[in-house]
Amino acid sequence: MAGRNLWQEFTKGLWLDNPVSRQLLGMCSTLAISNAVINGIAMGLAVSFVLICSSLLVSLVRRIVPNQVRIASYIVIVASFVTIADRFLAAFFPPISKALGPYVPLIVVNCIILGRAEAFASKNSVGRALIDAVGMSAGYIIALLILSSVREILGSGTILGYRVLGTWFEPWIIMILPPGAFITLGILIALAFQIERKVKQRR
Amino acid sequence: MSLSRRMVIVLTSIGIISGALLMAVNLLTKDRIAYNKQKEIEGAIIRVIPGTRASQKIYEEKDFTVYQGEDDQGNLLGFAINTAAAGFQDKILYIFGLNTQLTRINSLYVLGQKETPGLGAKISDQRAFLQFWESKDCDQPLSLRKPAVEKEQLASSEVNTVTGATVSSRAVLTSVNLALEKIKKLKEEGKINIEGGHGG
Repeated sequence: MAGRNLWQEFTKGLWLDNPVSRQLLGMCSTLAISNAVINGIAMGLAVSFVLICSSLLVSLVRRIVPNQVRIASYIVIVASFVTIADRFLAAFFPPISKALGPYVPLIVVNCIILGRAEAFASKNSVGRALIDAVGMSAGYIIALLILSSVREILGSGTILGYRVLGTWFEPWIIMILPPGAFITLGILIALAFQIERKVKQRR
Repeated sequence: MSLSRRMVIVLTSIGIISGALLMAVNLLTKDRIAYNKQKEIEGAIIRVIPGTRASQKIYEEKDFTVYQGEDDQGNLLGFAINTAAAGFQDKILYIFGLNTQLTRINSLYVLGQKETPGLGAKISDQRAFLQFWESKDCDQPLSLRKPAVEKEQLASSEVNTVTGATVSSRAVLTSVNLALEKIKKLKEEGKINIEGGHGG
C-alpha cells in the first residue's frame, strides 16, 4: 500500500485489484443481475454511489469511531446510502428498480463495500479513500459491462434491448439463466489471470 | 472519556444522523413512489379496458382488486381485475379487462412475474401469449390449447399454451377462471354494481 502514487491508487481497481476478476468480491449480485446490460449499468452505478459515499464517510470518521464498534458503524453508514439509492431508483427509475429486485437492498452486505471500508478507507486519508473508491467502482462497472454484454448478446441476441444479431440467431437461453452467469464469469476470470501471466512473463 | 462511553456516543450519533437522513429521503421520494405505482395500475387499466378515461377501485381483497373504467361522460365501459396466479417461481401479477356484462375478456396484461427467462417469462410476451387473450368469450371457463395452433383456429374460449411454459400458461388460465367465477359471484351477491354508471 505504501509508496503507491495517486494514479496507481486509482488504476489498481481497474485491473490489478479488480473487485470482480481479482478480488472475487460481491459475486452474488454480480452473477444475478448481469443478464442484461441495462441492469449491469444500473447496478454498477448504485454500487458506485454507495461505495464512494461510504468510503468517504468511513475515512472521515476513522479517528472518531472506536475500534470495537467500527463494523457496526460502517454497516449503518453503508445501509443508509443503500436505502437512499434504493428509494431513488424506485422513485425515478421504477422499471430498473423492478428488474434489480432485492439486489439493491442487498448492496448492504456486498463485500466490495465493506471490504474497501475495512481494508482501505478506515486506514487512509479522505483523498486516497475517494480515489480508491472511484477506481474500484470503475473496475466493478467495467467488469459488469463485459459480463452483461456477453450474456445479453448470446442470451437474447440484443444489447441494451437493441437487436444486434440477426433473426437467424437462436438465443442461447442458458446464458441469461444462472448457469450462463457462472460460465461467463469463470471464463472472464480465467482470461484475466491468463493476460496477467502473459504480461508478467514479458517483463 | 471512557471507552464504553465513547462507543455509546459514537454509535448513537451515527444512528441518529442516519435516521434523520433516511427520514428526509423518505419524505422526498414517497409521493413519487406512490405516484409511480398508481400510474402503473392506471396505465394497465387503460390497456385492458379500451377508451377508459377514469377508473376507480370498486372491490378489494387479498390479491384480487376490481376496477371499473369509465369514458368521458362517466359511462361504464368495463371492469379490470388485478390479481395473481401461482407461477413457477413466484406470483404472476396480471390484470385483465372484461366488458360490462362480464361475458367477454378484452385483453390481458402481465404486470410482474419472476418466471424462468426465455421459457416461462414468455407469458409476458404479446406475440407468444398475450395476443391469444384478446376478445375471448368467458361465459364458460376458458381452456388451454396444447400444442399451440394458429390464432384463427382457436375456439372463442380457447387460449394457446406457450411452448416450454406449460406450467406458467396453466397458472394464468386457472387463475383467470377462478377470478371470473369470483367476480360473477360478487355480481350475483350484489357486491359489485354492474348497472350504475356513476359511483359504485
